[in-house]
Amino acid sequence: MRIKVSPEIICAPATPEGYSALAVIRVSGKGSLDLIERIMSLKTGRLRGMRRKLGVISDNGKVIDEVIAFSWPAERSYTGEEMVEITCHGVPEIVRGIMDVLVRHGAGKAHNGEFTRRAFISGKLNAIQIMTLASKWNKGNEKGNISGRFGRECEEFINQIEKVKELLEGDIEFGEAHLDSERIAILTELSSLIRDSEKLIQQAGKIEQGQKVFLMGPVNSGKSTLFNILAGGKALVSDVPGTTRDGTRRNVELRGRKVLLCDTAGTGGEGLDIQASKTVLDEIQEFDKVVWMSQNGKESAPEELSSKLPEILEVASKSDLNQVSKKSFEENGKILKLSSITGEGILLLEEWISTSPGNMSLAGALDRTVNHIVNAEKFVTGDEFGIASEHLNEAEREIRSILGKGENLTLSVERALSSMCVGK
Amino acid sequence: MKISENTFDVIVIGGGHAGIEAVLAAERMGCSTLLVTARYSRIGEMSCNPAIGGIAKGTLVREIDTLDGSMGKAADATRLHFRMLNRRKGPAVWGPRVQSDADAYALFQRNYLERKAIRILEDEVIALEGSTENPEGIKCRKNGVVLGRTIVMAVGTFLRGRLFRGQSEWRGGRIGDIASDNLEEDIRRRLFHVERFKTGTPARIVRTSVDTGELGIQESEETDFRFSTDRKDLPGNREVCYLTKTNRNTMIAAKEYMHLSPLLAGRIDGIGPRYCPSYEDKVVKFPEREQHNIYVEPMGYRSRIFYLNGLSSSLPAEAQEKMVRSLPGFEKAIISDYGYAVEYSYFHHTEIAPSLRLRRTHNVFVAGQMCGTSGYEEAAAQGLLAGANAAGIVKGAKQLTPSRGNSYMGVMIDDIVSKGTDEPYRLFSSRAENRLHIRQDNADRRLYEFGKSLGVLSEGKSLLLELNMKEAAEIETVLSESIIERCQAAIWCRRPGAEAERLAELIPTLSSFSRDRIFSVMLDEKYSGYIRRSMKRDESRRRASSVNLSSITSYMEIKEICWEAREVLEKAKPRTLAEAERIPGIRPTDLEGLLLHLAGKRSTWNSSIKKETDQ
Repeated sequence: MRIKVSPEIICAPATPEGYSALAVIRVSGKGSLDLIERIMSLKTGRLRGMRRKLGVISDNGKVIDEVIAFSWPAERSYTGEEMVEITCHGVPEIVRGIMDVLVRHGAGKAHNGEFTRRAFISGKLNAIQIMTLASKWNKGNEKGNISGRFGRECEEFINQIEKVKELLEGDIEFGEAHLDSERIAILTELSSLIRDSEKLIQQAGKIEQGQKVFLMGPVNSGKSTLFNILAGGKALVSDVPGTTRDGTRRNVELRGRKVLLCDTAGTGGEGLDIQASKTVLDEIQEFDKVVWMSQNGKESAPEELSSKLPEILEVASKSDLNQVSKKSFEENGKILKLSSITGEGILLLEEWISTSPGNMSLAGALDRTVNHIVNAEKFVTGDEFGIASEHLNEAEREIRSILGKGENLTLSVERALSSMCVGK
Repeated sequence: MKISENTFDVIVIGGGHAGIEAVLAAERMGCSTLLVTARYSRIGEMSCNPAIGGIAKGTLVREIDTLDGSMGKAADATRLHFRMLNRRKGPAVWGPRVQSDADAYALFQRNYLERKAIRILEDEVIALEGSTENPEGIKCRKNGVVLGRTIVMAVGTFLRGRLFRGQSEWRGGRIGDIASDNLEEDIRRRLFHVERFKTGTPARIVRTSVDTGELGIQESEETDFRFSTDRKDLPGNREVCYLTKTNRNTMIAAKEYMHLSPLLAGRIDGIGPRYCPSYEDKVVKFPEREQHNIYVEPMGYRSRIFYLNGLSSSLPAEAQEKMVRSLPGFEKAIISDYGYAVEYSYFHHTEIAPSLRLRRTHNVFVAGQMCGTSGYEEAAAQGLLAGANAAGIVKGAKQLTPSRGNSYMGVMIDDIVSKGTDEPYRLFSSRAENRLHIRQDNADRRLYEFGKSLGVLSEGKSLLLELNMKEAAEIETVLSESIIERCQAAIWCRRPGAEAERLAELIPTLSSFSRDRIFSVMLDEKYSGYIRRSMKRDESRRRASSVNLSSITSYMEIKEICWEAREVLEKAKPRTLAEAERIPGIRPTDLEGLLLHLAGKRSTWNSSIKKETDQ
């Protein structure tokens, strides 16, 4: 068994695999400079400071490639550690060769987002910047905002919550005179909090990548049709079972909330289908949602799916084809009836997707924050100041978790990091 | 037998609210006890306002009563006026408070001590006798050395007490009483870390000189509420309280004499309570506010004296006269006793263990203002615990402290022992993390187990509490099994405005239980979701707190936390996260940073490497 020490130095290709003019390999960690100097046979100290050196990397005397190494000292690098970027020719064999050499010299292969993780840990980036970065990365052309303005607004919001808390607690401890004016002052503050939090939610929607919503179900249950209705159009549709084999996804905005809509290949078909839906199963994370569709709701979601995440909506599709069940969604409780032809159930579905965001998302945390504040308001009006105070505390906790200052810090950052590529 | 020929199990110094509970607790646990006080006639004195209870404090009194203390009994027996504070803010934050007849209260406590045959010695304690680690007893001014196996010190503001009013300053523990200067000297000589606090009291007014027609009236609530579970007969509510407000003239009067304030002139070094400030403090801190509430409370039944709650002052007599007379209805008021400030010594929190034992000794305990708190109820609760733990040493029992999640007593002790306080500590409901659980209505059930393991319950009390527990459990069962209005009864309880009376009508099997008991169980149901969440958080906090920091060699290297925190941590070198948390100046963010640092060093990368090697 190998000794499980954390590698001080990590390395990873930072450009996509394939043929290109150039490729970049990133190396970070204490001792990176020494390591690169060694494998490029440079004189010791040549890479100290912000340097650029041309050299050759060889494997057992055999030259792999002529490369340029760019070096950064710890205090000026992305990760906050010593860092080198090796620019080589964009040939997969060369990149692999250089990686092999690096690994043999003691560097570890980086995992998704590990460079950014180090940047986070060394204090170069805060949680919000990382999430912004992650969404920027994941959305490619979207304009992200790394300035941290949103973070400052969250901080300001926390101050506001604290102010209301002070009022409320003050009234609990000292408000002997039962003055209605105090209560009114608290209620006024609470409603202005609610207004502000809604603004925050709008902003968060711009920063954050949407949660993923998977459309799943047996073949020919109408997933792609629904996908097209929700996404407004381009997935391949036909009435032949099994048309969608590779899955399609699109960012859509439902009721102001960003959602990544994923159409999947149907289950229950033969061969390929099973493999395809297995891939989807592996991809689903606990903060995602699944819409499980089957014609007339006759097949319910498989156990392995429902055990994996709490947010599953079962949908009875093609309700226009079937007149058996006259029950509405409310009466039926669990299963939503849907028809892409009559439009039945579509609004309810959109609402479900947009109003109950998954656990770990930024929008979700903000949603819960507003919920708690609304509850606080309710309980002040309902003469339960103790409960109102609990909700304000919860609201503060939620928003602190967004800022990476609360209990959920590690989770939210982990999530952002895992969505990045290895060279990020 | 002569006092000097005895060796007492527990000697209690001080006959105030803490001392009384301490000596009674030790007595209940079967110890031979001695209460030493400088003046017999002032045992159980209400040195400040004639009220017991309030928000959080009222709950604390119920907790003291559950542990069989006497404070609740005395307050019930001598009450003149009752209010459930926060009546309109939900049962979770209700605060029962009584106005007591101050003289009757003290008399009740003295009689109670006598009924329990507590031996009382009227003398001044001038020193501990013997070594600091293991004193053999106390040294008294008149009676010399008295031997004791354990000692509880509860001398309140008397520890080198200094009284101030305007320019004058004199020695005293309270107006009309001598200060314990020698004892303080002895404590300092033994190199205990003591600091100074100050507190104050307002002027007392001759009742007949006040035109009460000008004042707002606060009627007593009609209720059969009792602090004590004893269900003894209650006296009727026999007095009303009055309410008035300060105005511009009060402020002008205070400002005119401000330069003569002992506090602002820098002659008092001690720090005063923020939440019970003197009027001059309020003027300085809220210069824009002219109106402050002043509660006018009779000191007793048909007492000739009014207490002016909210007008505490140590300005010269002349200024106090002007201030008082500026109040509507007080134009011709005659002051019977002027307000004053008292400065006194207390033990720094690092000296005190959670059992309230002084850490550097084996057998000396402290309680009340000596621990840096303020308030009768706070003192009594500590006295009870200190007395019981002192008795525990004699009996060879384990030292116990109630938990933070379960009682205000636990919250308070944890606060004063671990965090310390930079002003006289007063209990607030918001100091408790689990406020919806720590209520006044369920104190008996919350602390029964603790009281039993502490061994401080008399047989009668124990039986009574057991019965209460049983009843509550029965009600709980009924609630979980009954369906009313197409809804499980337990869920029904969560409806707004759900009442015990209505529930008893709907479920006839409940009608035999007292409405209070039913209501208490209903509240458990109503708040259960919140309570569970809070307990869970408590648990995870506790788990996180046990994180070991010993792998950190230098805090200065930890980049996840800010510079200030690095310096503070480097100096304190905490061994666990819990210890780090308790260091003043360390914020939750710094703790997160520490966690993150450790996670970065260990688990995160390790686990990812592990994955790789497993494959």
